[in-house]
Amino acid sequence: MPTKVEMLKLAETPPRTIGRSLLLTLPIALWSLLMFANPQRHPNRSMQIAGMITAVFMIALFFMMMRTRSTYRWRRWFFVALGILFPVGFIHTVIAMRGTMGLPIEEMIAGRTPFCYMPIPLLILPAAFTKSLVFPGSISGMAGMAGLWLAVTLVVGKGWCSYACFFGGIEEGMASVSPRAKVRKIDPRWRYGPWAVLLAMVLLSLALFEPAYCMWLCPFKAVSEYVAARNTVGMVQNGIFIVLFAGLVIALPLLTKKRTQCAFFCPFGAFQSIFNKTSVFDVKIDRARCSPCVLCKTACPTMSLTDESIAKGETLMSCMKCGACVDACPKNAVVWHIKGTEIANKPERARLMFLYAAWAMAVMFGGSIITEGLGTILHVFV
Amino acid sequence: MSRLLPGCQRYAAGQFFVGMQRRPTPFDFSRTPFIDPKPAHTSLTGSPPNAKFAVMSVPFIFGEALALGLASGPACMASCGPVLVPSLLAERAGLRLNTRYLSAFLGARFLGYLLFATVAWALGVLISLPSAPRMLLFGVVHVLLAGVLLWYAYSAGRTCARSCASSELVSIGVTKKRGVPGAAALGFLTGVSLCPPFVAAGVRAAGLGSMAAALLFFAVFFVGTSVWFVPFVGLGCVARNEAVTTVARMAMVLIALYYAYLGFAMLIGRKVYAY
Repeated sequence: MPTKVEMLKLAETPPRTIGRSLLLTLPIALWSLLMFANPQRHPNRSMQIAGMITAVFMIALFFMMMRTRSTYRWRRWFFVALGILFPVGFIHTVIAMRGTMGLPIEEMIAGRTPFCYMPIPLLILPAAFTKSLVFPGSISGMAGMAGLWLAVTLVVGKGWCSYACFFGGIEEGMASVSPRAKVRKIDPRWRYGPWAVLLAMVLLSLALFEPAYCMWLCPFKAVSEYVAARNTVGMVQNGIFIVLFAGLVIALPLLTKKRTQCAFFCPFGAFQSIFNKTSVFDVKIDRARCSPCVLCKTACPTMSLTDESIAKGETLMSCMKCGACVDACPKNAVVWHIKGTEIANKPERARLMFLYAAWAMAVMFGGSIITEGLGTILHVFV
Repeated sequence: MSRLLPGCQRYAAGQFFVGMQRRPTPFDFSRTPFIDPKPAHTSLTGSPPNAKFAVMSVPFIFGEALALGLASGPACMASCGPVLVPSLLAERAGLRLNTRYLSAFLGARFLGYLLFATVAWALGVLISLPSAPRMLLFGVVHVLLAGVLLWYAYSAGRTCARSCASSELVSIGVTKKRGVPGAAALGFLTGVSLCPPFVAAGVRAAGLGSMAAALLFFAVFFVGTSVWFVPFVGLGCVARNEAVTTVARMAMVLIALYYAYLGFAMLIGRKVYAY
């Protein structure tokens, strides 16, 4: 039985040539330049510079993905940058608009609450019963975000959580800080947490006629826009946001090296799991090559691989297609896959097809957010 | 009131049912505010006014109660959903078992309705319960609801740990023990909670002539709302495994925490919203 290190060495595959890697990067490079390199698109010099930096950043990461055939470690740079820079740009925008990070009732009544994708599953039942959207935002804002989310989700499924979600990056960064997990034994039943939060929040949203998750449980309120507390209840709500953020996004990822908020709490992630069934892309395990050393199981940041699922040659439906398991496998047994094709049939081609779709979306959606955050910081100096 | 419902005035004027005799009814509906007795005195028929009103109003009012129940059903479902759905999912699978659970839940909820209506009628506060006792009552109800949900979540866990054998609370699916304390407790507590449809029915029932009439109004209203609960039986078709039970239990804990917060906030007289 080879050691882990030996197996990892076995896994080393020769890198692509620079010329071939550049050729494969060309479509993404053109897309990135189209998105960010046009000076007319940006209102000021700092944003123009930020756009250029973003374009180079996204192209460079994709090039490295092509060159090294590794996905996770390069994607992670993008994702962490997205997670850190989103609050920077967002907080700056809300302060510029209303002078505070707090969301006052007047803004809600005026329908000016910014809409993120998190409440989407919470709005469905109230809308079905009452033909009303229980979110105090503008219809155009909600429709735009929901349309973008749906288009992306139908293609990449829960890949949204690894290539578009602007909340997951902070915890992924935290999970990368520590070289080794301090807490290794986690009860697998915590994996059901997101479904429980989803069930409870959907039912409470219908009963209370408000997006209950946004009102009570969203950890990212701590770094986006909190409740403009005018009484004890508002303070309690903000306290909950801060405690959840500190626990699920900072402390637990540091201790476990897992994306604990995504894996054990996020109701949108549970909802998104359903769309893994509609996506043509998934991750499979080639049983003919698998040892099984369970390195993939250890590497998975959301505990989406179990001994049973590995034996079946597939991931659980909570798989976010981040690529950690594919990169970790020393025998290249964990592969990207297009549904309806043979597992062993050119997995690199499946990876490329997935990455073109996912990265094009990442450039458009995440790249814009990175530019916004970067532009905000640069505005101080330029 | 007749101005609000012109159709009632037409009935009151006796245009359609001229000359019908008053039938003995167990309930006196003559004081119903939907029918203004004054115009009836000027009726062309010249017959005693209340006779025709009573005959006409009984089916009308029950029809109205049923219609109100049917129309309010989605709101009832939404209001009871956070309690009913997870607790049903925590039970064992099977249409029969789930029907029994739902029957127990609805039966106890019905009792809760009637009890609340009776007490509120007797105290003369059916339409508007004073703020202080209302906060106290619903605070206690919410805390109790939270307690039962937490107990239920705990019991469901024990139940599954013993291969879905009975525990003291979750005993719906057990053939020997026919006890239904969990479903009944939850049903009763949701019954005495003041949900918006209940308030709507209470306002209407308060205008009726007697307590018995009001209770009957509530009963018919309840039948109307209960139609909307029938689809919940379909949850019996959801296969139960560790995942479903655990999700249901975790959801129950979250919902219980919310109810506990609501309850305690009401008990200490705090606002439950931040704005």
